Amino acid sequence: MTSVHKLVSLDEALGEVRNGSSVALGGWIFNSQPMALVRQLIRNGATDLDLIPAPGSIAPDLLIGAGRARSTVCVFLSFEQYGLAPHFRRAAETGALKVHEMDGPGIAGGLRAALCDLPYMPIPDLATDLPKVNPEHYRPLPTPPGERRLLAVPPIRPDLCLIHAQQADEHGNVQFLGAPFFDVMLAQASRRVVVSVDRIVSSEKIRRCNHFTKLPANMVHAVVEVPHGAHPTSSAGLYRADDAHLKEYVKASAAPERFSAYLARYVESPVNNGAYLDTLGAARLAGLVLSQTRT
Amino acid sequence: MGELLAVLLARDFANHEVAIIGTNSDIQLAACRLAQHRQAPRLTWYSGPGGMVNPRLDRLVSTADAENIESAEAWMDLPVMIDFIDWRIHFFDFTILSALQVDRHGNLNTVVVGEHAKPRVRGPGTVGIAALTGLSRRYYIVLTRHDRSALVPKVDFVSGPGFLEGGTSRENYGLPPGGPKLVVTPLGVFDFEPVSKAMRVKSLHPGVTLEQVRDATGFDLVVDGTPAITEMPSAEELRLLRTHVDSTATLRTKYA
Repeated sequence: MTSVHKLVSLDEALGEVRNGSSVALGGWIFNSQPMALVRQLIRNGATDLDLIPAPGSIAPDLLIGAGRARSTVCVFLSFEQYGLAPHFRRAAETGALKVHEMDGPGIAGGLRAALCDLPYMPIPDLATDLPKVNPEHYRPLPTPPGERRLLAVPPIRPDLCLIHAQQADEHGNVQFLGAPFFDVMLAQASRRVVVSVDRIVSSEKIRRCNHFTKLPANMVHAVVEVPHGAHPTSSAGLYRADDAHLKEYVKASAAPERFSAYLARYVESPVNNGAYLDTLGAARLAGLVLSQTRT
Repeated sequence: MGELLAVLLARDFANHEVAIIGTNSDIQLAACRLAQHRQAPRLTWYSGPGGMVNPRLDRLVSTADAENIESAEAWMDLPVMIDFIDWRIHFFDFTILSALQVDRHGNLNTVVVGEHAKPRVRGPGTVGIAALTGLSRRYYIVLTRHDRSALVPKVDFVSGPGFLEGGTSRENYGLPPGGPKLVVTPLGVFDFEPVSKAMRVKSLHPGVTLEQVRDATGFDLVVDGTPAITEMPSAEELRLLRTHVDSTATLRTKYA
């Protein structure tokens, strides 16, 4: 970026994503999934993506359901009380989706190797079947007898990292009003970092509460202002997850024609975030907003 | 049945112990919270993937729920927390896990049933449990069904190492001391025979016969003498559970 001004539109932020890119997805289960960015990525047409989701739900599942992912790293994909991620499950069971099975040390070690510019990170050898099914990510690392058994995980360096946070300034200083989960590590390991925020605030406000800044501007390539940009997942301190919409998604995912209708209504037709929010309606959104005075 | 499983687990936790539990873990969460209201007020529990410490609600919500996060004493930055979760030995005293499959040596499978490349059933993933079963001092297994598809001779995919092939194979492999302590199911409570490290009947729930358990288990269980009868939840345990832990009756409705 040549400009210090990193505030751009959704389309500008994701206009040049190449087919075959590896894409990290931030958030955690039903919290702060970068949904507005994911919907835009689908509208822009990028395909054959290799997903690297933090423990996720609808963000990776929507990309898989829309046919945009050729592979995914999987530590944990879940719809919690609504069951397994429907498209992930189906695509994995038919073999249409390549699943790079990984565990916590594997993904954390791989990201850490990338952000530290190391050829690998040592992780404990925990006697699982992972090296058998994923030799690309789990390599033997000989250790002397009597020392802890280790494996080597090579770097995981996503081409693009999509994150949702609560607020930022126009320079790209990103603040989290709740837990940032894996987002900072994903961003540090990635080549390009795009963040959606629910609101843009002044740089003075950023400085006044700088303990909320987890991604300073130099780590961020583009910021997009998208109110309710994590919908239907939650955004810390601002709005809760939309349980009704998550149920609607799971229900729509049961049959291809119903899912096509879901995609048309919520992803393809709304040309921007405003149009998307209009499909939900003001009353629905107001019902999700967290009260600032609640005790 | 959910209440019974939570109570049986809760009884085994000591004060000042440190536990870690995953997402979508109603029974596991209820067990930790109940123990905090009884013998273990200073039990600390971490929500694994979220890094939250001691969320404290009087009802069971998904540990991934924003409300649960807000009620925690602390949430650790995950890149910091994962060093304790994924590398450090014995940071956690115990974890409580469920699985698609459990075998006679307490190895767990949460990944796939069948071939990995084209599974019959696709599970949620490793869910990071290898580091929990591999590095904590002990772990518990909770199953809401007891049948031959859940209790198998050998798991199709080892995502949570238990006693591996039994005997001394876990220590021979170089894993730290640990492994499964108890398995609680709708039919009974099971532990592991100290030498062979094979699953053994500890107690059967009232009305359950040994024959019934054998029919529902995909391998030969070790039986030492006549199994005890499980001590059912007391009135006090149920009162605490229903008023302070599960006030919206999730355990009674979802795991009836």
